[in-house]
Amino acid sequence: MSAQNPAVEALGVAVAARVPVLLWGAPGTGKTSAIRAMAGAMDLPCETVIASIREPSDFAGLPIVVGGEVRFAPPAWARRLAEAGRGLLFLDELSTAPPAVQAALLRVVLERAVGDLTLPDEVAVVAAANPPEQAADGWDLSAPLANRLCHLAWQTEPRAVADGLAGGWSAPVVPVLPDGWHAEEILSRGLVAAFLHVRPGLACAPPSNAAAAGRGWPSPRTWEMAARLMAAAGAAGIGDEARSALIRGAIGDGAGVEFLAWLVEMDLPDPERVLADPASFRLPERGDRAYAALAAIAAAVAADPTAARWTAGWQVLGLAADTAPDVAAVAARVLARCRPGDADPPAEIRLFAPVLRDAGLL
Amino acid sequence: MPEHGIEGLAAARLWAATKFPYLATGVFGAQVIADPGSGTLSVDESWRMHADPEVTADWTAAQLGSVLIHHVCHLLRIHGERAQDTGVRPDEAADWIRAADAEINDDLVPAGLELPGRPVLPRDLRAEDGLLAEQYFAGIRRQAARAAESQARSGPWLDWLDCGSGADGIPRPGQGQGSEGGLPRWQADLLRRQVAQDVIAHSKQPGTVPAGLLRWAEEILTPKVNWRAVLAAELRRAVAEVSGAVDYSYRRPSRRSAVAGPVVLPALRRPVPEVAVVCDTSGSMTEDLLAMVLAEVEGLLRALGLARQVRVLACDTAVAPAQRVSSARQVELIGGGGTDMGAGIGAAAALRPRPAVTVVLTDGYTPWPAAAPKGMRVVVGLLGEGAPDAPPWTRSVRVEP
Repeated sequence: MSAQNPAVEALGVAVAARVPVLLWGAPGTGKTSAIRAMAGAMDLPCETVIASIREPSDFAGLPIVVGGEVRFAPPAWARRLAEAGRGLLFLDELSTAPPAVQAALLRVVLERAVGDLTLPDEVAVVAAANPPEQAADGWDLSAPLANRLCHLAWQTEPRAVADGLAGGWSAPVVPVLPDGWHAEEILSRGLVAAFLHVRPGLACAPPSNAAAAGRGWPSPRTWEMAARLMAAAGAAGIGDEARSALIRGAIGDGAGVEFLAWLVEMDLPDPERVLADPASFRLPERGDRAYAALAAIAAAVAADPTAARWTAGWQVLGLAADTAPDVAAVAARVLARCRPGDADPPAEIRLFAPVLRDAGLL
Repeated sequence: MPEHGIEGLAAARLWAATKFPYLATGVFGAQVIADPGSGTLSVDESWRMHADPEVTADWTAAQLGSVLIHHVCHLLRIHGERAQDTGVRPDEAADWIRAADAEINDDLVPAGLELPGRPVLPRDLRAEDGLLAEQYFAGIRRQAARAAESQARSGPWLDWLDCGSGADGIPRPGQGQGSEGGLPRWQADLLRRQVAQDVIAHSKQPGTVPAGLLRWAEEILTPKVNWRAVLAAELRRAVAEVSGAVDYSYRRPSRRSAVAGPVVLPALRRPVPEVAVVCDTSGSMTEDLLAMVLAEVEGLLRALGLARQVRVLACDTAVAPAQRVSSARQVELIGGGGTDMGAGIGAAAALRPRPAVTVVLTDGYTPWPAAAPKGMRVVVGLLGEGAPDAPPWTRSVRVEP
């Protein structure tokens, strides 16, 4: 398989950034083996704990009376991880764990606390679960636990399975986070903050129905997670698909898509700045972005048509007419309709005559 | 922008963006590549259009622009993916494309699409306007089965051109999927949302946007919730919360107590809760929908291992005696006239053994008790479009088929 599976890439980044992550997928699709292989490739000791056959005390600590007070003793797997100082805690079958066990897992997942023992920061938490509708005895994840995890959908590509069966399973490519990647987190936090200024309603939006509660949803905690994952994804240089999966996994599909759409829009040039300095304008390469940029500029002129702004608008269209005459012509029609009384017809208008005539619009 | 080498493309796109301004983002978002010798203008699922310059040379700007709009609509309505979901075999691809074309053309041709040749319209498929491609396709399959052996399969659409993998989901040789230059899936999703927002924005001026396209945009921006999944989650949750089913309890010592010394550990317990279903049988209910939801509830309860405990109450203003049933088909709906679900919930609470979970299936046009009955969870299935809300002490699920 030449192209890396985006789910594996996303998983690798989440593990490297030490953000708790949960893989959702049908039974038998290789979630467990992918996570073990990932731990092996990163040279992390892996401790597998099957949540569904554990009791709450296995995660909250076993209460033991010592000299008149109760201590919460951690189980052996937690001790081993603490002694190694690093590692990967893999919680399998999370959705078949009874609600009481899920409650006990809350502190383990986010704060890495098992009983009286706190696991080192270098321990990554990864969980796997079958969707409740696929596991006969499945539970929906409780909303507080779901909110502590980045949810990734595990999909298998038939071709990768065929290749794997024939030629052996390829080892996952491990994303490497350069030292100092945390510095980028400031930038991504700034982006998230700017977005939440525009859409304050999405800062915290608990899900309204029980089925959606078991997946990612926006809350201050998950926005922080999303910012962290975004920075890590940028630093590791992984594909856009994996980056979008990580963001949507942290804050849920609805808020995630809105945030991604806003990021795309942020890439567009600011119309007022372009009108102040038309020569600086660079046409975005993709057709729909070019259309969005030019339409925004034309709309900005139409909203406040002074002679100077009108002329500047035509200059921008003149620059774009060479590469994208059709896109520019759409904006030109808007400009032509809002000509201020004291402005002379611009020279650029002639550039659009041929294409307008061909389209039968002249 | 990359070299496309198609003459008249700029004029065609300009025509399309002017005539259908609400689809302009989609028209400019698609990439056009010259593909000499292909004999058609086809589209793949990564928003790339493969055009044969010889074919497009014969078209006017309006015709080429119309084909672009038409193909963008294939992409917007994800016909490729839907074909795979419908299980379209390669030998049926042409039929599927006719069905998909009909879904697009039924409201865009009246809006001014000038396609070359004769576009497929629903009446060519002996179907009415405004259906989905899946419905048109099912009709074609039925007709083909009736027409049986090979004959009578000709029609005016045979001179129509192949729309490509973006329309039927079957990969074409030489058009790699998403490999080079095309839009990755998530960007295609964003583009689709952007177009939907444009459509909604343009619809503020009445009479500009075809109704079918508007309906599409509304569905993209406010996706329908799958009521089956929500109902299942609510039921599971109600049963879990009430019974503490398979949860830990200090009522009985844990099996680990033998080795834990003086420490008291909880043990797993699983009480089996009683479930009652109250059905609204007033005149305003649709029997088909009720039967469907009842069957769904029963299936869910069976999956939870509770099917034997179910008792069903039929209720309008009075309550019929509880029937213990083992299948939804056994439920007799007696009643009609006015509605009072309060009576039904009260009757459920009076049953012995007392049900821990009560499922109420109603159309919502009913008075409700002011407070929740003590010690009983109530899950309400609100049936039909526009049903009024249930009171906040219930967990309600809207069921809109």
